[in-house]
Amino acid sequence: MLYREAGQFKTTYAADQQLFPIRQDRIGVLVLLAVAFFGVPLLASEYWFSAILIPFLIFALAALGLNILTGYAGQLSLGSAAFMAVGAYAAYNFQLRVEGIPLLVSFICAGLTAAGVGILFGLPSLRIKGFYLAVATLAAQFFIVWCLTKFPWLSNNSSSGVISTQKLIIFGHELNTPVEKYLLVLSIVVFMALAAKNMVRSTTGRAWMAVRDMDVAASVIGIRLMPTKLLAFAISSFYCGVAGALYAFCYLGSVEPDGFSLEMSFKILFMIIIGGVGSIMGSFLGAAFILLLPIFLDVALPFFAELFGLPFSSATVSHIQITVFGALIMFFLIVEPHGLARLWQIAKEKLRLWPFPH
Amino acid sequence: MSKKIGDVILDLQNISLRFGGVKALTDISFNVKQHEIRAIIGPNGAGKSSMLNVINGVYHPQEGKIFWHGNERKKMEPHMAAQQNIARTFQNIALFKGMSVLDNIMTGRITKMKANFIEHALWFGRARKEELEHRKKVEEVIDFLEIQHIRKTPVGRLPYGLQKRVELGRALAAEPSMLLLDEPMAGMNVEEKQDMCRFILDVNDQFGTTIVLIEHDMGVVMDISDRVVVLDYGKKIGDGVPDEVKNNEDVIKAYLGAGH
Ligand SMILES: Nc1ncnc2c1ncn2[C@@H]1O[C@H](COP(=O)(O)OP(=O)(O)OP(=O)(O)O)[C@@H](O)[C@H]1O
Ligand SMILES: [Mg+2]
Repeated sequence: MLYREAGQFKTTYAADQQLFPIRQDRIGVLVLLAVAFFGVPLLASEYWFSAILIPFLIFALAALGLNILTGYAGQLSLGSAAFMAVGAYAAYNFQLRVEGIPLLVSFICAGLTAAGVGILFGLPSLRIKGFYLAVATLAAQFFIVWCLTKFPWLSNNSSSGVISTQKLIIFGHELNTPVEKYLLVLSIVVFMALAAKNMVRSTTGRAWMAVRDMDVAASVIGIRLMPTKLLAFAISSFYCGVAGALYAFCYLGSVEPDGFSLEMSFKILFMIIIGGVGSIMGSFLGAAFILLLPIFLDVALPFFAELFGLPFSSATVSHIQITVFGALIMFFLIVEPHGLARLWQIAKEKLRLWPFPH
Repeated sequence: MSKKIGDVILDLQNISLRFGGVKALTDISFNVKQHEIRAIIGPNGAGKSSMLNVINGVYHPQEGKIFWHGNERKKMEPHMAAQQNIARTFQNIALFKGMSVLDNIMTGRITKMKANFIEHALWFGRARKEELEHRKKVEEVIDFLEIQHIRKTPVGRLPYGLQKRVELGRALAAEPSMLLLDEPMAGMNVEEKQDMCRFILDVNDQFGTTIVLIEHDMGVVMDISDRVVVLDYGKKIGDGVPDEVKNNEDVIKAYLGAGH
């Protein structure tokens, strides 16, 4: 009976409409944030920051962007990585070409640029749905990567489109260490996740979900399909764009167009499938799962191989990784389409009744 | 009943609607007066649902004129019906399956909420205030329909009869001046039907909402409607107060012919 709302009576609608209406959730989130901002910087090693935590946050942000579009507004997209690429190259170019532009401003501009491109590639969604729309977004994926390689201006005439990002200067202070980069990424991701949570619990989100669940009924109620869908494309791409800028500036430092491959788009899609389609938290769970699973298998498989005296080559390990991935995705698609977030929900419902079975 | 039936607010003149070779509606004229309960009846495939879809702009008739409050309505899109205060429910429940009862009904008020997505994202300005104000209205609807106990339930988990009630709630949340109901009692048991009848009559009575209703249950139709239109194979074969329609020979024939 640790997790219960019993006794927490809502006497006003305001109390019932809080971001996290159940007290334990509220406390949980605050603790999590405190740990992320203050605990982790004290404990984690440099490797953890640059190889695990920073990419986790960045991919969680991209997954969140895709989740807004696919999970909430119901428009399938296979172009997430391409929108990240737009963000990365836009941020680079704003830094390069606009004298004295603050880094954060160029991140915002990068998001806006991606949003613009997103709207453009979202236009087919006004006519086509589902599988066919996915194919149209596939076009975005290839076209954008092609553009970035084809037009040298976009990468300041570097060979094969590789860019090395500028210095990270925030409020006159240069960020050098992984911890500082981590804190920058964390702040941006937390802010944007809260903003997303706010959007999906208000009219904006309800309009998206209405279009997703039953578009004829939505339009009869007065929701205009075109602006609603395009807004979802814009905001989703904004999130992916900012994620792309962070990916280039805070994670890799140097990127090339081909790095933002279709494979990466699929990876982001798998994150939301496994984490939970239509769930903010699911985006984080999915990103953690997809990024940590290979690391876990890398360590665990050789260990077991040795234990049982099996000859595992590194090629076998990567084959097994792919197999496990495929199996998991099939599992979630068939058994639990709402992903880890739903499993978490079920666990909470059980916990609510615990220790009484009914 | 002591209510006052007003002037004609919706006038349909010579409406014809075709889908390829299928004539769904042929040269149909009828009107709806303010505050009345107007029933549309007819055998399966008669064109009743198509008629509602014409009224709220989902279908566009090839011929005919529509006057709304005396003005001819030109090309109409579905979302414009909402702006003109016309709400509806569907024959096959069209709730938003992934959302709770509360959110479904809140969505019914969407045209009345003005905050934009930036205000929502940052939860400032009109966003917070509107959410509270409209929640209050929505709770009134929830009380009216006696569904307080399920307000947080995802609609997909509700039994059929309750889903129909929630869909009515979503329509009522818009505070419509005209309500189009497509078989609101289909598939319900006697008790649920009685509840639904009561709600429809109360809406009509308390809020003065004009109601256009499609229903197969003749008992219900003759009981609660002020005037009835009868369609058969896309043509109008009867129009008048229940008693008139009941004794209309064409109507009797159509119903006997259709095996009723
Ligand atoms: N979107 C559409 N496309 C093609 N034909 C349609 C469409 N909508 C309706 N029709 C046709 O129009 C005719 C009238 O259909 P409608 O649904 O209006 O009948 P109805 O009176 O509501 O019947 P029911 O009692 O079965 O609901 C039918 O022949 C139907 O097949
Ligand atoms: Mg029908």
